[in-house]
Amino acid sequence: MSEPTRGPDLLHIATPSGERYENVIDLAKVRAAHRVLYEERETISADGNTAAAIATLQMWRCLLFAGFPITPSTKWIETVAATIARDPAGTQAAKRVKLLEAEHAVADYLAGAAAACRDLIFPTATSSVGLDHMTETTRSLGASGLGNVMIIDVYRATANYPLCIEGDPSDTLAHRDDGFIQIACRGKQQIYDTIVQAPVLGMHPHIMTPTQPGYYGIKDSHRSARLTVEPDREIHAFQDRWMAPCPLPGLINGDTAFGNCVTSRHFQGFKVSQKRRLERVLELLPRIGADFERHFGRPGLAFFDQAGFDDRPRLDIAVASMGPDFGTFEALRAAYEKRHDLSLGGIAMRLLTPFPRDQVRQRLAGARVVLVVNQAHHSGRGHLTLDVADALADLERPPRIIGAFAGLGGADVSESTWEAMLDDASAVLGGAPAPPWRAYHEGRPV
Amino acid sequence: MERWEPQELIRNSVLEVRGDGKAGGGLVLAFQSLAALLLADPELHVQEWPFFSSARRGACIRSFLRVSRRPITAACEVTRPAMTLLMDEGAARTVDFAEGVPPGGTFVLNTRRSPAECARHYRLSGRVVTVPGDEIGTRFLKHAIGNISAYVAMAHAIGGFEPRDVAETFIHQLEKRRIPDTLLERNRQALAASAGAIREGVFDEAGADDHRPLTFAGYGELPVGAQTGLRLSRTNRTADYAPSSFRLRFDDPAVACTGCAHCITNCPEGIIRWRPDAERGLLVTGVDVSTYCKLCGECIAVCPEKLFKEVPFEEEWKEVAIRS
Repeated sequence: MSEPTRGPDLLHIATPSGERYENVIDLAKVRAAHRVLYEERETISADGNTAAAIATLQMWRCLLFAGFPITPSTKWIETVAATIARDPAGTQAAKRVKLLEAEHAVADYLAGAAAACRDLIFPTATSSVGLDHMTETTRSLGASGLGNVMIIDVYRATANYPLCIEGDPSDTLAHRDDGFIQIACRGKQQIYDTIVQAPVLGMHPHIMTPTQPGYYGIKDSHRSARLTVEPDREIHAFQDRWMAPCPLPGLINGDTAFGNCVTSRHFQGFKVSQKRRLERVLELLPRIGADFERHFGRPGLAFFDQAGFDDRPRLDIAVASMGPDFGTFEALRAAYEKRHDLSLGGIAMRLLTPFPRDQVRQRLAGARVVLVVNQAHHSGRGHLTLDVADALADLERPPRIIGAFAGLGGADVSESTWEAMLDDASAVLGGAPAPPWRAYHEGRPV
Repeated sequence: MERWEPQELIRNSVLEVRGDGKAGGGLVLAFQSLAALLLADPELHVQEWPFFSSARRGACIRSFLRVSRRPITAACEVTRPAMTLLMDEGAARTVDFAEGVPPGGTFVLNTRRSPAECARHYRLSGRVVTVPGDEIGTRFLKHAIGNISAYVAMAHAIGGFEPRDVAETFIHQLEKRRIPDTLLERNRQALAASAGAIREGVFDEAGADDHRPLTFAGYGELPVGAQTGLRLSRTNRTADYAPSSFRLRFDDPAVACTGCAHCITNCPEGIIRWRPDAERGLLVTGVDVSTYCKLCGECIAVCPEKLFKEVPFEEEWKEVAIRS
């Protein structure tokens, strides 16, 4: 792929009827109507939902904010609505909140609006069963090539009976195959930065795949900390460098995304193309991340965060996990390493789908034991365990893999829980058998 | 007794704070305001977050805060705080707000009682800071909401802030919530009154086994009917979900009850008392508020004669048991 591009030949394909739909929306007017939230870089205090809301509000391409409230994502739409409503002069008139009657209606709304306006970004936020309710349409969105749809998933466990609002990633992990680019975030800054970059990735003409940035409900959605917000103009400059213009409405290799009855042969080819588009994320994501870092001076999109690898090619134990609880591991890693006289590192997954198996293999290949910490319900050894095992499978001497569950149902993953998991990994390092999986809570297996 | 000074912890390691209160009582706003106050210092790293479940208004909730001069990566809950807040004495019936606090820690309580009384009653060793937040809330906001005072008392306990900054940070949090100006002014008055009503002392009343963190004994097997038991008030003391300082009262000296039975059919706990009545069909005679009334307000809303009221009620300490 080339550097940030103005778009390939797809731009010049007319529909069979010859319609081009050019100039249906005057993008210059949309851009001019944008109300600036931040003139300069500022440091503020914000929780995760507020950080996500600010990021979407700062994009001039975000005109319509569709939503239906569901805990713990509700504050996203509340913040967006309050900000737009706070504009008495009407300069924000171009932006609108569309509160719909249910999540499935939100997804349908996104599909229609995004197909019609391929140069605009259509965000929403949801959680748990909200994402489930969207499923029929999310799978169509994934297939359609509507990379300008962004569903921010605020992770919440997916069991509505018994009712719970706890934040585990079982919702997003149950939707691995909806056809979205799924990116996990931890911490306010990463949430904000990821949401700025996600549409750049999804709307790239070689990708054209909707995005699903996500973060843990309660643990991150409701956690306040310092957040650096960038001036709107810099966000626009970064996004515009990658984004414009998009192919014609609904066009993927000449086929429209919605409404067409195609032959089986076309459909089958279309599915293969969908998979290829998703795989291209693995090539493009680091380039967008690097460009973001050059522009803003903070780490951009990456396949995973890492701790403790330094320049050590071999580690005794490597942890593979995701989410804010990895921070607790980071906090105790050095002390545990010293106390037990072993080398210890870890990765926290950022890109969940497509899973960056080559990069994970490269990072974990030198470990003797890999402790995979899963936080979502899974019928077997855990979503992450299977992905990591797949990534490491063709190594000549693959590490031993321990499948652990901690934080199920949004449970706290305390220091003692991390230590219990690491103690078991140390035992396996010493030759003890590893069970297929084990669940932990409050410093003990359960 | 070793003292755990908040400022020293911030300087040299990390100050961890935990608060206990009830949903709807303003605990989260108090902690968010404290975080904002601390974040005004660009050298400080702060994280603040609440924990609450899907339970309704009045259920026990917690808030956590970490502050340090070093970057904070730990994301787990605070289990051994050097400083703790009891925002709502009603919450102390269910949780031990001092659990895991080391001797020499700081205990902040929203209560009209004195530090010495609190230290004796809750068996506290360390610095005890009290403020009559519910009284101040009632005086200035016509509502027994103690979060303004609790925030001021926590800021006082940490130390090092200008009173004006303490007040304006809280006001700024309210402004973000688009609170009307008249209410902002009353909050300012409550903030000033809180600063003048703080009392404190150092005590050593805890026994060796008091407030030890509980050891997790495993989830165990869910017994048959466990879920149903949780949902049915007859096996679950739902009165603990009521906001403290208030109770429901049924008052009908003139026998104005029309027998419409709206209160009976709308009460989710089935605690309205009644008897057959030849003229009306039935006559409501009272309400059992002892165990299951969570002050949901359904009866207050539906009674055409306005016979149900929410009235002030003072927690009795004899109801309070220290769990550990």
